[in-house]
Amino acid sequence: MEDDPVARLIEATAKADRAAFRSLYGATSAKLMGVLIRILGDRAEAEEALQEVYTRVWLKAARFDVARGRGMTWLIALTRNLAIDRLRQRPDAPHDGDELLAQVSDPTPRAETRLIASGEARRIQDCLDQLPPDRATALRGAYIAGRSYADLAQAAGVPLNTMRTWLRRALLALKGCMGT
Amino acid sequence: MTDTPLPPDDADEVLAGEYVLGLLDLPERSAATARITRDPAFAARVAAWENRLSPLNDAYPETAPPPGTLAAVEARLFPKPARRRLWTWGAAGAVAASLALWLALTPPQPDYLATLAAADTGLTFQAQVAGDTLTITRIAGPAPDATYVLELWVIIGDAPPRSLGLLTDTTQTIALPGAASGQTLAISQEPPGGSPGDAPTGPILALAPLAPT
Repeated sequence: MEDDPVARLIEATAKADRAAFRSLYGATSAKLMGVLIRILGDRAEAEEALQEVYTRVWLKAARFDVARGRGMTWLIALTRNLAIDRLRQRPDAPHDGDELLAQVSDPTPRAETRLIASGEARRIQDCLDQLPPDRATALRGAYIAGRSYADLAQAAGVPLNTMRTWLRRALLALKGCMGT
Repeated sequence: MTDTPLPPDDADEVLAGEYVLGLLDLPERSAATARITRDPAFAARVAAWENRLSPLNDAYPETAPPPGTLAAVEARLFPKPARRRLWTWGAAGAVAASLALWLALTPPQPDYLATLAAADTGLTFQAQVAGDTLTITRIAGPAPDATYVLELWVIIGDAPPRSLGLLTDTTQTIALPGAASGQTLAISQEPPGGSPGDAPTGPILALAPLAPT
C-alpha cells in the first residue's frame, strides 16, 4: 500500500489513541477548515462546524477502511457531507420550484477552474474537458461549493429538469471516461 | 432533451454520484444516507465516487482554524467525570449516618465511560459501566417520536453488533457482563419495535468506545 500517514492516524484514532487524534487534527484541520469555509461561506459557522467534524472523526474513525481509499479522501468526504447537510437544512435552502436568490449565481471562475496539474488529477481534468463546458462547470460547482440542482439551474439559466439530465449524463460519461 | 429513465444499474450509479456531488435535497440525502448503512453495494459505489472525484479536493485552500478548536473538541468528547463530593457535617454521628446513606444510594465508581453523540441532532447519551451493569442516560437531544426507536448495540472486536435493547427511558440500566476497554457502544435508529433482524437496519446515529475511567 502507498504510504498514507493520515490513514494511519485515523486507524490509531479508532483505537481511542488520543495522541494520534491530536496529530491527525494538526495534520488535517487547515484543509478541512478550507472545505467548510468554501461550502458554508461563513467563517463563524465553519469554525463551529469544524468542531462537529472532529467530533465525528473520533466517533466514526473505526468505520474508515483503508482498502476503500486514502485517509484525506475519507476526511474530506465526511467534512463535505456535514457541510452539505447544514446547507440543505438552512431555512432558506432552495428546494425544487422555490424562488431563488440572485446571489447564488456566481459566474466568476474560482480556484476550481484553475488548471489541476498532478498526475491523478490530470485524468479527471481531461475527462471534465470532454464534457460540454457548462456541464463541467456545473459539476465542479456542485462538488466544490455544494450547490444543489436548483442553485445550478438558476446559475446556468436552464430549467431544473434540464440540469438534472445534464448532470446525470455527465456523471455516467465521467465514470466511463475515467474507466474506474 | 428528454429525461428518459435510466436502467436500474445506471440509476444507482447516478444516485451515488449525485449524493457525493451533494446535489440531492434534504429528503433525498437522508434516504441515500440510510441506504449507505444498509446496502454495502451502494456504499461501495459512493466510496468509488468519493475516490473518483477526490482530485477536485485540490481546489480547497488550506485555512488555519482558530486556536482552541481542538481543546473544545476534546472537552466535548472526553468530559471529566463529575467528582463526588463528601460534605462535612458538624456532628460525627451525622457524618456516619449520611455516609451510610450515601454508600447505599450511590452506584459504585464506574469502570468505563462512553459518550455517544449524534453530531447532526445533538442527541447525546452518557454511558457508564460498573461491574456487570451498564447505565445509559440521555443528556441532550430529543426523545424519539412514535415513528422510530433507538436501539443500543455493543460491538466486540470484529464480531457483528449485538443488541442490548431499545433505549426507551431517559436513564436505563442494562446487564453487560464482560465489558472491556475497546468494546464499542453504538446507537441506531430503527423502526418501532426495534431492528427486525440481528443487525442494525437504520442509520448508526452515534458510537463510542468504552474508555477506562
